[in-house]
Amino acid sequence: MLERFIQELRTDDPGSETPAATRERLKARFAPGSTRRMTLLGMLVGAALGDLPPAGDEPLVYASTFGEGRALEDYLASFPAASPTLFQTSIHPSGVQQGLIGRQRSVGELFPQAGGRQLAVQALLTAMLAPAATVVLAGGEERGTWLVEANAVSDRTFAYAVRLAREPGPRALGRLMLTQEAVTGALAHPAWFERLHRRQPFDGAAAEGWRLQLAWS
Amino acid sequence: MSDPLSAHLKRLIVETLRLEDVKPEDIQDDMPLIGSGLSLDSIDAVELVLKFEKEFGIKIRSSEESRQALASVSSLAAFIRQHADPARLPV
Amino acid sequence: MASCAVYSSNHDSVGLAAWGCVTPLGDAAGTLTALLRGERALRAVPVLGREGGDPVPLGLLNNRELDETAPPSWLATIKSRFGPVQEGGWGRPRRPVFVTSSNFGVGCLYAYRRSGDPAFLPFGALPDCVEWLRRELGWGESVTVFSHACVSAHLGLLQASRMIEAGLADAALVFSFDFLSPFVAGGFHALKILNADFPAPYQARATGSIGLGDGAAYAVLARDRGDFTITAQSLHNEMYHFTANRADGAGFVAGLAPVAAVAAGRRVWLKGHGTGTLEAGRLEVDAFGRVFPDAPLVGWKGSLGHTLGSCGLVELALAVEAMRAGRTPGTVGSAAPVFADSVALESFANGAFDGVVCASNAFGEAHAAFLLSHA
Repeated sequence: MLERFIQELRTDDPGSETPAATRERLKARFAPGSTRRMTLLGMLVGAALGDLPPAGDEPLVYASTFGEGRALEDYLASFPAASPTLFQTSIHPSGVQQGLIGRQRSVGELFPQAGGRQLAVQALLTAMLAPAATVVLAGGEERGTWLVEANAVSDRTFAYAVRLAREPGPRALGRLMLTQEAVTGALAHPAWFERLHRRQPFDGAAAEGWRLQLAWS
Repeated sequence: MSDPLSAHLKRLIVETLRLEDVKPEDIQDDMPLIGSGLSLDSIDAVELVLKFEKEFGIKIRSSEESRQALASVSSLAAFIRQHADPARLPV
Repeated sequence: MASCAVYSSNHDSVGLAAWGCVTPLGDAAGTLTALLRGERALRAVPVLGREGGDPVPLGLLNNRELDETAPPSWLATIKSRFGPVQEGGWGRPRRPVFVTSSNFGVGCLYAYRRSGDPAFLPFGALPDCVEWLRRELGWGESVTVFSHACVSAHLGLLQASRMIEAGLADAALVFSFDFLSPFVAGGFHALKILNADFPAPYQARATGSIGLGDGAAYAVLARDRGDFTITAQSLHNEMYHFTANRADGAGFVAGLAPVAAVAAGRRVWLKGHGTGTLEAGRLEVDAFGRVFPDAPLVGWKGSLGHTLGSCGLVELALAVEAMRAGRTPGTVGSAAPVFADSVALESFANGAFDGVVCASNAFGEAHAAFLLSHA
């Protein structure tokens, strides 16, 4: 059984806010002029991470099912004169790198993950196996446009950053436990985000062979 | 006052890179573009190269050649005059 | 600067039970033989495939076309060459699979965009591509995906090792692939680092350039099995700039130092990242010289091209074959003058060495390294 405590949590769900409005809302969180090349996902993840109090060097796990799918749409559309900026920003894990590079914040271990239905638990496993007192798990998705219909990009936008600790400390927000059991099921990435954003508990199969328990203080 | 080509290049730089806080007339002809001065970086440089290649029909072959051409607006203008069809230059 | 991770607890108990790779030069043994002969897989190919464009050095499997097909043509090669990837009940919770790639099926998304043909869509988006592979290769649901450009494979190896060490897996399969497309070639061409010149890693010349290559590889890790172990692993991310390293090379040193600490007292040779770019190449050679003085350094991307997300695992398989064969290929495609005397242009006997340090670097200036040793 693997156990960690939620020490810090930031979430952002723009809902029906337009991308332009979200960019305007988040712009002040970054150095002047630095957001001109940032994607919306980069700004959301960067803001969530930037809000966590610094805690020295700690591993960072970054989860996104589709990565920079929205930037990929624009990059594909730029051919045959491929835009180098869009090429760069469309490569996973650009979404987390943009903010960190902007802040010149180096990271020892960075684990960018992607994929389908079991992403949330797989990212949690990576975080929980990192041999460090605290680990940050960040993630997000950005709503696409012409690739949404093809199910090749996310149909919603959100971001989160959660600091996990081995010890509860004086103000743990919640507790996570992962146990290997003979169970089947999946907790998709958007559903995982909802559990964090709404502080909802969870107890059940979150991936094949893994039971996840999430309890809030 | 900048010649028409230099003035056009400054406008293209501001528009292409979405430099919100910079006006074309703020860019001096001999101001370094990459690193200090305008503080553009290597990604900005290649984005500008792409723009100028399309605009003037020139070809910049390598990152080293783009670094030399983009040293300043003056060096860029000189490079374009040397390699572009004069019919594609602003008058 | 953030310190690096080093995976070193009980490291000797996690062995490399099986490995393999495929490149345009053949399987692991075939590719090694070709490298020892100094052969190059790279050929001049129009950067946008059927749509033409500047010729650039690419290494394409079976001389295939750069443009993608639906389904992708490279799957047949994987199925015919990688038996261990399909046997053994992979993808069950105690036998997890770690898939690592940078581009997945993005060539199919490009083909869809250009042609409008929906036949490409089932293979294009990342989750769809992985799900398609999972079904085709007969894996269960326990498939984890790591994607971090050219250090992707290292992440799979590290997490697989940790799962086994923690007693959560009996064995783990790490599978890595990256196949070229006009999408990928066009992007690097737009950055002006993929051009008509063929790559010459670590060579001191006026301009730098890379080549790109198709590549796929696998590694099976298991407790107390195999003749080799991945004894130590490290990661570091400079987060200085997307495409430039800190000018003092401190990032490269930070990425190597933890592995060097474990390798202390052992005689190692070095397999570098060496894509053919100048600045990064110089910094890498300098860092190796500081951390592993007197160790000979080779790089194989001058022959194979940069196989992107798969390079860490492709080159692991080749390093293992080199250790088994007792001979390390030199830095194919490069000639004097080189950045330092440590760069080995010619092949050399490796029997007297205890192991090899393999390093990879990626956009965002990520660094990864591991020490491969005899068990």
